[in-house]
This record gives sequence, structure tokens and C-alpha cells, in this order.
Amino acid sequence: MKNNIRRLSYLILGSFVVLSLYIGYVNVFLGPALATDPHNRRLAAYEAKVHRGTIYDRRGAALAKSEGDRRSYPLGKDAAHVVGFISQRYGRTGLESAYDRYLLAMTDEEKIEVIIDRLLGRPRVGNDVVVTLDARLQQLAMRLMGKRRGAVVALDPRNGEILALASSPSYDPNAIGQPAGRSPDGKVLTVYDLLQRDKGAPLLNRATQGAYPPGSTFKLITAAGALTTNPEVIKRIFNCQGSLIIDGFRLADTAAHGAVDFYRALAVSCNTTFARLGLEMGAERFYQTARAFGLTLNPWAGGLPEVAYRPGTLAPPEKMNKPHLGSSAIGQGEVLVNPLQMALVAAAIANDGVIMRPHLLARVQDPYGGVLLQSVPRPWLTAISPEVAGVIKEAMVDVVREGTGRGAALSGITVAGKTGSAQNPKGDTHAWFVGFAPAEKPRVVVAVIVENGGAGGVVAAPIAREMIRAVLTAGP
Amino acid sequence: MFSPGACHLRAVEGKLLFWACAYLLVGAGALYFLKPAPSTAVVLIGALATMAAFWGLHFFWSWTGFAGDPFLLPLVAFFSSTSLVFLYRLNPAYAVRQFVWLMIGLFTLWVITRFLLRYRVLADYKYVYALAGIIGLLLPIFLGVEQGGAKSWLDLGLFQVQPSEFVKILLVLFLASFLAENRLALAEGTRTLMGIALPAPQEWGPLLVMWGVSLLLLIFQKDLGAALIYFTTFLAMVYASTARVAYVCLGGALFLAGAAGSYALFEHVRLRVEIWLNPWKYVETAGYQVVQSLFALAAGGLTGSGLGAGLPQFVPAVHTDFIFAAITEELGLAGGLGLLIIYMLFVYRGFVIALAARDDFACLLAAGFTALMGLQTFIIIAGVIKLLPLTGVTLPFVSYGGSSLVANFIILGLLLNISHETQVGVVEKRLARWKHWRG
Repeated sequence: MKNNIRRLSYLILGSFVVLSLYIGYVNVFLGPALATDPHNRRLAAYEAKVHRGTIYDRRGAALAKSEGDRRSYPLGKDAAHVVGFISQRYGRTGLESAYDRYLLAMTDEEKIEVIIDRLLGRPRVGNDVVVTLDARLQQLAMRLMGKRRGAVVALDPRNGEILALASSPSYDPNAIGQPAGRSPDGKVLTVYDLLQRDKGAPLLNRATQGAYPPGSTFKLITAAGALTTNPEVIKRIFNCQGSLIIDGFRLADTAAHGAVDFYRALAVSCNTTFARLGLEMGAERFYQTARAFGLTLNPWAGGLPEVAYRPGTLAPPEKMNKPHLGSSAIGQGEVLVNPLQMALVAAAIANDGVIMRPHLLARVQDPYGGVLLQSVPRPWLTAISPEVAGVIKEAMVDVVREGTGRGAALSGITVAGKTGSAQNPKGDTHAWFVGFAPAEKPRVVVAVIVENGGAGGVVAAPIAREMIRAVLTAGP
Repeated sequence: MFSPGACHLRAVEGKLLFWACAYLLVGAGALYFLKPAPSTAVVLIGALATMAAFWGLHFFWSWTGFAGDPFLLPLVAFFSSTSLVFLYRLNPAYAVRQFVWLMIGLFTLWVITRFLLRYRVLADYKYVYALAGIIGLLLPIFLGVEQGGAKSWLDLGLFQVQPSEFVKILLVLFLASFLAENRLALAEGTRTLMGIALPAPQEWGPLLVMWGVSLLLLIFQKDLGAALIYFTTFLAMVYASTARVAYVCLGGALFLAGAAGSYALFEHVRLRVEIWLNPWKYVETAGYQVVQSLFALAAGGLTGSGLGAGLPQFVPAVHTDFIFAAITEELGLAGGLGLLIIYMLFVYRGFVIALAARDDFACLLAAGFTALMGLQTFIIIAGVIKLLPLTGVTLPFVSYGGSSLVANFIILGLLLNISHETQVGVVEKRLARWKHWRG
């Protein structure tokens, strides 16, 4: 009997060990998610007591600050999507949500300070967050977009710092709670209610959550795949007759470009050449190349939270027949990307094939300016070899110098780029431009999309040009 | 009554009690200095009175040479301190009531260790326990008041009593005396059926009846927590006494059948299970409590928000079933695990007492009470942290609740008496050997 009792005691004490492990799991692993869960009333109760920290841009301009018990957003609609807002009623979005625990000083390391502040009866002050955005660039991007729908992304390819992340149409985050009208049944509607009902989707952050056909900008990926498969591609001459028949499917070009080499084909954005290159490399390699550029991946998965991100979509190789592959190779078909994604494709070419992990957080500092957390540039993916990147870069310089991207040219600065005019079911083509400058030593990558804007070279390239000019003439 | 060797035990107890009191003083001091005022001085007075009561019992035992286990009283002092400090922090009115119940509990403990040292007489009344237990469970069905969905309280005007808390003691007493008498028959069987050794119906019948009746009554009271504790304690004791895995398997099968049956029959059981599987679906209604509990568990991080600095009041019923969530929020993972370790030490000492006991009855009684305490602690904490479906029971010695507290002190007293008897026996044997050697 004593043996049984001994075994029983092991069982019961063992079950306590299981309890301990599970409590540890809840506390440590589920802790962060539980702490920021919208149903957790602690957050609101805590916030009421904490002076929420300020979000600054890279030059020290406030993007979000607390005034009394009000939160204000000095940039208004110019940075609404990326900075986000907090509201008792409508939750929290953008960086306001992502950096909550810094702004409220709620990380584990700050526990002791919480206790000291409490003992001394001091009001609790949150930490400030400095982001990589440049308020002036952000405002410029929104001014350039005007009333048009679309997005502008600017980032530094050397370290992944995002300089501008603009989405249009926008809204004023300072006003979302104000009454703005009445519903048919007489209920008072706030600005936010109207924004939610707006068909133009003003609440959507197009820069990271848009899902657009990339059009000819996608030829950069096709080019990368072709050059990686066979470097001899640059010696070949292609004959463009204005269209290509693939298994009975007619893929049209904008013109009959005649005999073109690789550089010329990219400069004039020849559809038949790139469709042919796509078909030659095959669906499997095409898919792998797109993945190497991070097309279907989220750069922020598992790391520090940033803003919401919709990874690109691309049909898997086994589901891609030849006509489908040919159209995908020129950015049509079922390829969908977001503008930040296309900026990262250009960043890979600008940075010798390596994509640095894009980020918005520069540092977290305490109210006295002491740095608590400093973000460190880290490579995300190696998309292509430096040689392949060099060849594509050269071709992209041609695009701006003598091809479809002349609208992005600047005097005294070599700009490299690629245009796109993506067909879509909703009317005029989407105007795309992705590029970087200076081509010799790229310091800025820009991606622009104007929804239903027409030709990329005419509509999007000038916006990119002004963004590049602003970055390169403003100094670091 | 005096026994040599008791001096040493009581010295150990005194040293440990000192630390428990230091712990209580720190907690009470922190609460006082959070809001120093004449009205909050009551927390200091309560702490001093509690310490005086524990020390009083300790000195009484030293004086009478009581040789009970020296670890249990300090461990329980830790629980009681935690209980008073947290109840005061949550709602001073609860702490005052709990303090009164604690005094009654300690008095009960004194009575048991003073007048019931010959606890062995308890073995003779097993059918009295069975009858009393059944009546105890029947009363609330007809005369009871409902609280938190369970109809298991009797309203006595001045205060309410939860008979199921006392019936669990009767259950262990009944099982210990019955199994001590019949365990060999149950273990080896007195007849064979198709080559399998089976006991006679009169040897297992009363067991099954007692168990079945208690379970049915609990279902009618809707007191799932108590039912689960009764059932697991029953299984543990049957296993301990017979070592026949077949009984445990049979019991497990019966349990699964019962669980499936009540899942199909009773809406409230179904809801409990669904909340357990996905509380977020019911986050604004029935799942609110357990979700708030998870928030509290996570809110404290490793070291807690600090006493009085958390927001455990967001958890409904935090002073009773969910007090563990409040403790973990304010003392952190470290505090929660610390409390668990104290429970493990308590369970460990309980089993040590069982293993050292002189005969089957004492051994089974100690093992049964220890298993009961351990399982109850496990069941409520597992519910609070969503490891198992929630069944409302108290966290022994810590949750607010008079019936539970007094019942637990009765159990503590009996455990101490068993260890006292063992210890006295050891000393007597040694003395006898020594006398024999001296010739």
C-alpha cells in the first residue's frame, strides 16, 4: 500500500509541475498578446494614468503627441495611415498600436520604475518613439498625389529605413470621433463611420495593404530570374513583332519593337521579350525568383510589430500554365503586390542583391532622452547575386535615360527605374514607377502607384522624380 | 501526553513560523503604508492578532509536548497570511470576515489537537459518515440558496454554510475506514469469474453506492467542482488501498461516461466546456471571467505589478475562486509559482505523514486528506489558468469562504494528530529499545 501512496504522491506533485509550466506559458508566451488584447480593460485603465509618449520623425518633428487627455496628430491626413490613431471607441491602428507598450512604458524592464514612481507619487510618463519617417517627405508625397488614389513609398536601400509611406485618399485622424452626419434611420454618424462606408476605402493603408497587379515593374523579377539562369542572355537579340502567341493565347505588346537586346527590351518595356524569357525559365524558377525577392513573405513576421502588411500573391508553379506564366512574367495575370513590396524589389537591385529588413522604428527613448532601444539594420533576404543586380541596374539607368522612364530623370543625378502600366478590371491602367538614385551609390528607393492613372512613365515617374530630388538635395 | 522529541519538532516549527510572520508583517505593512490612516490601521491589528493566534497554538503545543508535524502549521500560516493580505487589498470587508473565520478555524484546530488525539475512534462510525454525508448534501437541494450557479449553500441567518465542504471530510473518513477493513478483499478478490479475481458485492457495494449518491446529489446542486474533487479523491484512495489499475480504469471509464452524459444532458456543463475550448467566443458573456483571469495572470509579468498596484478587481469573483489570478497579477509569475511550491510542500508533508503512519486506517486517512487538498488545489488553479474547464471550488486556506476554511483546519488537525501518534510511537519504541539494552 505504501508503494501505491508513493506513486500517488508522484502523480499529484507531478500535476503541480504541469501547472507551473502552463502558468509560465501563459505568463511568458501568451503575455504580450494578452496584455494588448482589445478586451483587456487594463490597457485603458493604465493609459488613463500614463502620459502617453510622443512619436517623432527622424528630424524630431512630432507625428503624434499627447496634449492633456487628448491625442493630436500634427501631420493630420498626411501621415494618417502609417501613424494611425487611438480611440476608446474605434481601437488603435498603425504605429500607435504597434508601439503601444513603448509609448505607455509597459515593457517588463520598466517594472521597477513603475514601482518607484508609484511610491513617490509621481505621474507615470511613457517613452518616446523615434521613427525613420521624414515628415517633410511624407507631406511632399501626399501633395504630389493630390486627389488621386494610390501610394508612395520611399526607403533607404542601405539599411531598410522607411522614409515615407503615403496612402491616398486619406483622412484626418484628429477628427475621427466627431459627428459628421446622420444615417437614413436618424442615428448620428461620426467621421469614422462615414470613412468606413466610403467606397474609396480611405482607411486602407494602400502602401502596405494594397493588392495591385504590378504590370511591367514585375519585369525586374523576370529579368533577375533570366539572368540568374543564364548570364548569356545579355548577348542575345530578340525579335519583337508586336505580339506573341502562347498555346493559342495572344499576348499583345504596345508596339512592334523589332530587334532588341536585353537592355533595350527593358528600356522600352517589351512585353514579348519578357514573356518569352519567363516561358524559357519555366514556372518553377519564376516562382522561386519571386519568392527570393520576398514576394509572398511578410518582412515583419515574428519580429517587432510594425504596421499591417499584406504579402503579395502569386499562383504556385504547378497551377501555372504557359499563357498564365507568360502574362505573369510581365506582371499581369494573377500576380498581386503592395507598393512597399515593389520598393523592396528595387531595393534589392540597388543594394547588390541584398534586401535589408524594412523598418519604421529608429529608437525608443525615455522622457529625458536616454536611449532604451536602438534598432539595428539587418539583412532580410538575398534576392540575387551582385553581378545580376549590376546588369539590371544598368538596364534601369537606360530606362530613365532613353526609355519609358524619362519622366523621372534629374539633371546631375543618375536615376535608375522601371515603369509599369498595369491593366486592371476597374478602368484605366494603374501607373507604376519604381526606381532609385543615385544609381552609382543608391541612397533612396521610391515606389509610386497611381490607381487608374494611365501610363507609368507619364503619371508616376514625375512623382518619383520629385521624391528623389527631395531626398538627395535635403542631405542626410 | 508529554513526549520527548517533541521539543525539537516545535523548535523547527517556531523558526519557520517566524518567517511566515515576517511575510505577513511585510504584506500588512505595505497595505498600511499605501494609505496610512487610522482606519487602515485595522490591517496591522489584524496581522498582529493573527500572529498571536498562530504563536499561541505553537506555544500550547510546545507546552503539552505535542509531536505533530512541524512544517504544516508554518505552511498554513503562509497561506493564511496571503489570504488575509489579498482579501484586505481586494475588499477590507472580506478580510475582516475571513479573519473571524480564521480564528474559528484555529480554535477548531486547537480543539482537535487537544481533545481528538485518539482519532482512531473515528474508524468505528463509517456508516454514520455515509448517512451524515448524504443528509449534508441533500439539505441544500431543498433548503439551499443559490450562489454563482450552484445551489450548495445553507442560509443560517448570521452566515451561510456550504455543507459539501464538510462532506468531503466525511467522504475521506468513510473511505479510509471502509477501505482499511476491506482493502485486501478488494485487492485480491474473494471469488473468481472467468478466471478474474473479484471481490464480493458486500465488499464493493457500499463504495459504489456512496460514490454514486454523492455524485448524483452534486449534479442536482450543480456543484461540478465538488463533484470532481469527490470523484478524484475517491479514485486516488481506491488506488492507494488496492493498487488495482483495473479499478482506476473502471473509475476513469465511469467518469468519462458521466462526463459525456452530463455534457449531453445539462446546458451548464456544455457551456463550461465550450468556454474552456474557446473563451474568446463568449468574451462578453459567459467566457468573460476566465478571459479576465488570463489577462490578470499575464498582467504581472515575472515580478508582478506589486501589491495594490494591479487591477485584479476586473476578474469577477476574484476573492473566492479566482484569488490565484489576483496573486499572480500582483506578485507576478514568481509569486504565483512561490505559492504553488508552498502547496507542493504541504502535499509532500501530507504524504510523508501517510507513509510513516502506523496502520492502514491512519495511512489511508492521511493519504486521502492529502490527495484531497492536492487535487482541490490543482483543480481550481487549472481552471483559473484555463488548463482545464473551470469548476468553482476554493483555493484551500486562501480563497474567501468560512466553510472551506474551517473544513480545511479540521483536515489539518487530523493530519497533525496522525503524525503525532506516529512520532510518539517512534519515540516509545526507541525508549523501549534503550531500556532493553540497559537491561
